[in-house]
Amino acid sequence: MSTIIKVRNLEYVYPDGTKALKGVDLDVFKEESVGLIGPNGAGKSTLLLHLNGILKAGRGSVEVLGMKVKERNIIKVRQRVAIVFQEPDDQLFMPTVFDDVAFGPINLGYPEEKVRVSVKEALKGVRMESYEKRCSHHLSFGEKKRISLATVLSMQPEILILDEPTSNLDPRARRHLIELLRSFTLTKIVAGHDLELILGICQRVVLLDEGRIVANGDARGVLSNKSLMESHGLELPLSLGA
Amino acid sequence: MHLPEIDKFAHLKSPLHSWDPRVKIISISILILSVVLLKDLRVTFLGLGLAITLVFLSKIPFSFVFVHLRWVLFFIVALFVILSLTVPGSTLVGLSFLGVSREGFELSLLISLRAISAVLLIFPMLGTTRFDLSLKALQKIKVPDKLIQLLMFTYRYIFLFLDEQKRIFTAATSRGWVRKTNLSTLKTMGNLVGMLLVRSFDRTERIRDAMLSRGYSGRLKTLDDLTLCWKDFFKGALVVTGALMPHLLGWMG
Repeated sequence: MSTIIKVRNLEYVYPDGTKALKGVDLDVFKEESVGLIGPNGAGKSTLLLHLNGILKAGRGSVEVLGMKVKERNIIKVRQRVAIVFQEPDDQLFMPTVFDDVAFGPINLGYPEEKVRVSVKEALKGVRMESYEKRCSHHLSFGEKKRISLATVLSMQPEILILDEPTSNLDPRARRHLIELLRSFTLTKIVAGHDLELILGICQRVVLLDEGRIVANGDARGVLSNKSLMESHGLELPLSLGA
Repeated sequence: MHLPEIDKFAHLKSPLHSWDPRVKIISISILILSVVLLKDLRVTFLGLGLAITLVFLSKIPFSFVFVHLRWVLFFIVALFVILSLTVPGSTLVGLSFLGVSREGFELSLLISLRAISAVLLIFPMLGTTRFDLSLKALQKIKVPDKLIQLLMFTYRYIFLFLDEQKRIFTAATSRGWVRKTNLSTLKTMGNLVGMLLVRSFDRTERIRDAMLSRGYSGRLKTLDDLTLCWKDFFKGALVVTGALMPHLLGWMG
């Protein structure tokens, strides 16, 4: 399998002096699904924000599809690496669903016809075809989550990053979202505390704590290691006999 | 929770709803400008008549219009009282040491009619098109991009802001806080509003990240389905003629 994301010795310090990442090394391979877990403040979101250049590496490097994440190729990187943020109201900032889903493709310079086709396909991909003209603030939370996914799928990315995709979802909406995520074949990185979700869709799990990777391996192996999980403020998923 | 939706009746069908929003905004803006520049009291009634006619044609319920007009009326009443009592002139009504002057009364009536007409005209202008389409129309007629983004984000996030505000005040009330007219209430209100602003600021940072990750580079780019036809220009010509008519009548005496 070819390496699609290569992170080397990545360090990041927030302006207030908090060291969020301390020498992270990570490889992600094409079409694999990786779960990123860790306690609150472990650096999961900070790491994700480096992968499409929202945050610039303090030290070390991030390489995506053979491209160093730098200002000069940032648009190319952002087209290939899509992030769906935890809070859908942060992701859906345009007045209508169509405008939101079309936002990425328009900024990438797609011609009008291609934008319209991309929007249609993305909404079809999340089974929300009839929602084009709806206002984002009138949608239910579950609908907002799905439309959030469509806003990045319309950019036809190769890597999909999801930050806490199932937080605040009711069980039915959560189940629908998991089914949807399973149906996507593109490379996925899923960060969060929903360990059942991660166990269900990821082959590999990376455990991050205090800005360092403390475990990186087969999902079932990492998630069933009770002492490892508990020593980093986590618990075993229920299905693994918590 | 009640949400302030100017485009609540944008789904209705009327000559104003089918009107292209670009021509509509330009034409009605000319009418508003014309009305607020009127100086003759009699002609101002004509301006008010035009505004009411457009509201009637738009099929927006007058009850909805009056609900939103009440804040304007509040200021108008204050204006009436102040101007009628303070502008010098011949006494219209005298009440012990207070005297309502004719000039003051006429001036306040003139200003009130202009203000009511202008506010009434906002409803057929913005209430008959979905707000997102009105924003696209503004974009097409070259209103500065920053102003449009400001309007768009205000419209999108006012609902969340109100929800957030409600949650914060509910949390305070659930811990025994009662609004009173004392210093402690003012302090608590200050803290709650401050917290609301801090949370809003945090949200703006997260939204900025979401925008950047989808290729945003400072300019708002959208697609639209706006199309122009001769009917749009005809309606525009009618409204602009209506805007010029009161001035012509005023000059003719």
